[in-house]
Amino acid sequence: MREGILSGNAVALIVAGAVLASGSQALAQATPAKREAPIELKADASPRPWKRYPGWPARDYSKYNTLANLATPPAPKEPRKLTGPITGDAKKGAELVADRARGGSCLACHVMGPAGGANLPGNVAPDLSEIGNAGREDEWLFNYVYDARVYNPETVMPPWGSHGFFDEAEINDIVAFLKTLKSPAVFKTELDNPEKRPVPVEKRDNLDPIENPAMWAVEKAEALFKQRTASGFACATCHNDPKTQFKTWAAAMPKWEPRLNKVLGVEEFITRHAKATTGADWMMETDDNRAMSVYLHFLANGEPIKVDTASAEAKAAIARGVELSKRKVGQLNMACTDCHGIAANKWIRGQWLGEPKGQYDHFPTWRTNLLAIWDIRQRFQWCQVNIRADELPPDAKEYGDLEFYLATQNEGLKLSVPGIRH
Amino acid sequence: MAEKPRLKLPKEAKKGDVIEIKTLLAHTMESGQRKDKDGKTIPRKIINKFTCEFNGKPVFSTTLEPAIAANPYMQFYAKVTESGTFKFTWTDDDGSVTTAEEKITVA
Amino acid sequence: MRQLSRRAALLLGASGAALTIAGWNSDAFAAAKDAADDIAKFTGGKTAEKGKVSIELPEIAENGNTVPLSIAVDSPMTADNYVTDVLVVADGNPRPGVATFHFSPLSGKAEASTRIRLATTQNIIAVAKTSKGEFFTAQKLVKVTIGGCGG
Repeated sequence: MREGILSGNAVALIVAGAVLASGSQALAQATPAKREAPIELKADASPRPWKRYPGWPARDYSKYNTLANLATPPAPKEPRKLTGPITGDAKKGAELVADRARGGSCLACHVMGPAGGANLPGNVAPDLSEIGNAGREDEWLFNYVYDARVYNPETVMPPWGSHGFFDEAEINDIVAFLKTLKSPAVFKTELDNPEKRPVPVEKRDNLDPIENPAMWAVEKAEALFKQRTASGFACATCHNDPKTQFKTWAAAMPKWEPRLNKVLGVEEFITRHAKATTGADWMMETDDNRAMSVYLHFLANGEPIKVDTASAEAKAAIARGVELSKRKVGQLNMACTDCHGIAANKWIRGQWLGEPKGQYDHFPTWRTNLLAIWDIRQRFQWCQVNIRADELPPDAKEYGDLEFYLATQNEGLKLSVPGIRH
Repeated sequence: MAEKPRLKLPKEAKKGDVIEIKTLLAHTMESGQRKDKDGKTIPRKIINKFTCEFNGKPVFSTTLEPAIAANPYMQFYAKVTESGTFKFTWTDDDGSVTTAEEKITVA
Repeated sequence: MRQLSRRAALLLGASGAALTIAGWNSDAFAAAKDAADDIAKFTGGKTAEKGKVSIELPEIAENGNTVPLSIAVDSPMTADNYVTDVLVVADGNPRPGVATFHFSPLSGKAEASTRIRLATTQNIIAVAKTSKGEFFTAQKLVKVTIGGCGG
């Protein structure tokens, strides 16, 4: 990736493009169906080995599944037998269920009576405020916390014991606490009650640069687009009318790319096409790449998302994406479909879980809490790290399949980029 | 890094109108409350004062504390009775001052 | 989350890119008393009357790093009767100070909006001072949400 020299083939294409451009023909370079855009075929579009972003949790999750690798130990086949009744410390248990450092805490999904001050609990899973009246046996409660897969192989509940979040003594404490829960939770305000909490509505004008600093990337990219590299070429050398030429392009991405035998998204395309044409070094997840991605999506704003799923290869990629979306990964042992399928339109603690539709049309998006632009691949990476799975490099083929599937679920939604989210 | 200040106000107004002004400056507003990864406090560096003048007369100003979010945003109003120039200034803890101007025609 | 305190982790919610953002990470939280002290200094010990001031804030903030805040004071804003200053404090941040808005008759309206940082669920208190030496106040609770995935 470092040579920065164009292959003879790419130069020929550029020259051909430049000639066409000077002939005032609206160039079809932006329409891959009509002309194959030159792309770098050999080098990766992001650094190898991939290193996690600074400031992200540095934990190692290599013992567990990722979207590329199966490593999670098999689930136990049988519930563990208890030797006697549980004699845990309910007070300690009350603290443990609210300890956010242990994978987000039980309150992320359950209302649990007074635990954690009943402060913004979630409702992904049943309200346990009266579990103490349910007549459940100690052994059942213990195993449900330790590894609920012994009762329900498809459960969303993380295997808290098997995957090392809590040891047996701690689970005894948690069970002791659960047995004390005998009356409905009392909430300080309606906002604390996940059944009454209002769903967040994004009302900010995401295309106003005073509201959304990601709009500054559009200005930056307009300049980058015209900037000649050492090769003497700029994007504008061939794409002389980007506003027209890219009016629909990003809305039809990602696409199956036979030359790479993978799904190519906008960001990876930017890296590879720039490398093969102007020679610009716009690796994925650099500021320049993000700015170009914001810009190319911005030019297609208002255009309904519609990806090309006609070929057998495209269909196979989407089918793989469907399977990946169901794969349990990480220490929390969760799949995309756990949070954004089964638990969609519910609260995970104080955060609303969206369904897949609506999770794509605004990317790349501004993150107000991070002061940063995130593209969809970085969003995938963050989801993975959050459920304590090792993320993949942004140009991983698995993310391509997943993005392709996500795009099909968002078909018809009109692009509105850059978005703005918390 | 040196993003220009963002301003949003009408170019024209009628005499006596109260107009809305929005301003934003790109700035991290380092609170002085954070620690770096070695546990050392990252020194405070914020915009501590914002002013708006019209034809040299004070319209609105703000003293800002570290609790103001990064990229300090201010929305306020001005009553205009004559054509002229708004001048905006942002003062950094390090003493540097960023300024911006915008003209308005009042009929 | 490395060196971040529990409080900061709370503030950051599910976001882990903590060190790149400009929030707090101090355990030294201001008591409501510090906010009260700031207000007493501003009013010179006078009691501010409830009313005339309105505070607009989301009831629940999706993150505490950039919470929109608007203050409006009911005032004629004429040369002989206008709001001169509005002090805004937060009673649950490491330090209570948020901002002081300074108005003039040229302001036209005693209204201003900005975006603020809130370390946790807390009260925002605004105190307005008029050119006649009167003080008015209002307060509003804002709940800062908690992320689901922990640190």
